[in-house]
Amino acid sequence: MAGVSLDVSGVKVVRSSRTILDIQRLQIPAGQFVHIIGTNGAGKTTLMKILCGLLAPDTGHIHFGSTCMTALNSWSKSNLRRHIGYIPQSAEYNSHLPFTVREVAAMGRSSVRPLLTRLNRSDYAIVDQWLQAVGLGDRSGQTFSSLSGGEQQKVLIARAMAQQPSVLMLDEPTSSLDINWKLQIIDLIRRLTAKLNLTTVMISHDIQSLLRKEDRTVLLHAGRVAIDGLAQTVFESSLVRDIYPGLTPQWNNSPDSSPGGD
Amino acid sequence: MDSFFYTIILAGAVAGASTGFLGVYLVGMRIPFIGICISHAAMAGTILAVLLGVNPVFGAMALSVLTATSMAAIPPEKSRLDTNAGLAILFSLMLGLTFLGMGLVKDSRNEILGLLWGNILFVSGESVMVIVATAIVLAVFAMLFNKELKVILFSRQIAAATGVHSGLVYGLFLALCGLIISINIKLIGGMMIFSLITNPAAAAYQLCRGHRSLVLTATVFGMLSAVIGFGISFYLDLPTGACIVLVSTAIFGLSLLARRFRQGD
Repeated sequence: MAGVSLDVSGVKVVRSSRTILDIQRLQIPAGQFVHIIGTNGAGKTTLMKILCGLLAPDTGHIHFGSTCMTALNSWSKSNLRRHIGYIPQSAEYNSHLPFTVREVAAMGRSSVRPLLTRLNRSDYAIVDQWLQAVGLGDRSGQTFSSLSGGEQQKVLIARAMAQQPSVLMLDEPTSSLDINWKLQIIDLIRRLTAKLNLTTVMISHDIQSLLRKEDRTVLLHAGRVAIDGLAQTVFESSLVRDIYPGLTPQWNNSPDSSPGGD
Repeated sequence: MDSFFYTIILAGAVAGASTGFLGVYLVGMRIPFIGICISHAAMAGTILAVLLGVNPVFGAMALSVLTATSMAAIPPEKSRLDTNAGLAILFSLMLGLTFLGMGLVKDSRNEILGLLWGNILFVSGESVMVIVATAIVLAVFAMLFNKELKVILFSRQIAAATGVHSGLVYGLFLALCGLIISINIKLIGGMMIFSLITNPAAAAYQLCRGHRSLVLTATVFGMLSAVIGFGISFYLDLPTGACIVLVSTAIFGLSLLARRFRQGD
């Protein structure tokens, strides 16, 4: 499991004569952690769908490592997505179903194993290892629905990591959590992705509390990359002050969140 | 009791088990309404087949499978249309086709009306074999695609984003739904199959922990609903379909009580 680079070039998405995404170039080197920020309608989710190969752009190319995603047919694209770990918002999954914690985490292995095969002992060993890593090893028999929102996100992190991905995509993974859980979850993600050198793309509205000064941050505005740089630089720009009036970032620099720290 | 009695029991048990199993996914994905939508597609298919002079069974199967798989053509990440809204539109189309066809059919409408209410007592040995065969196909499908079905049930978005071939598996699953519902409505009836899809699965959701236990419980509850319902109707000389539906509702009620009782402990 090691990160791969992502390269978006000349990508345009137009819907009903309105350009909703227009990115000349966005390169994400292997192993980098990137925040995508912007107001609602800025094009963040569209960009994530494009990066996952779920949406085909009207023009342009997306390279996943050396593979040109846009040139692939839908079957090959689906196979490529096995290398993408995805952690969604809570609204995107049926949390009320009586799946056990271990069953949900094991779904990460379902992406890896080809059709018509079953998960084996080594798959479940990987799943158990990741449940231990996120601190839920002793709760694997409990139902997923009985966990708190923060614990559920930890299971989804274990699910994504059990997939042994090269890229991790996070779509507002902390949106429904309180501030303590937000910090815990983001620290866990930072620690794991840094340790494994995973390329990580995170969309978040929690910019006040989750960013670190040295994080690469891409501000999308009206479908375009308005600013791309270190978080501190981005937040000193006048555009950010216009878009987020009165925003004062509380930089997340707790010792626990240092890359590679355990 | 003669062998006919056991044939009916077998047909009912297998039909109940199949619909109970399907219900786990259809209720979990919040689309049990697909049951009533497909059963109306079967009626429309029967009528169209009668009008075209082809075998009504094939007409029912073809339109049911087509209706069910058309739902797979609405991927959640690309569509603005809610799945239930899509089902409602399909339902109204099938209802319209059914009534239009009924107006055009000059001969007996008994075959069509029979699909609406169903009658387990008129099941033939041949149709029992078809019911058992499709149930076996469903069981094999569930074993082969167990891991994909679980992810799709949990989240189609996650399945699609992480390389599970969800479009293919979901499409095949819906096609099987169409096939099984169109075959079983002769016994249970288009109106009542909806209950056998919803109630056993909803009851299992009250009691179970884990996917395997959920699937097994819903399948057994579906089977019990059909067998006990038939037994009651046989001994008390009551309408069979109504008894099956009421038993399945009672099983749901008892499961709900059992859950409350367990939580109260």
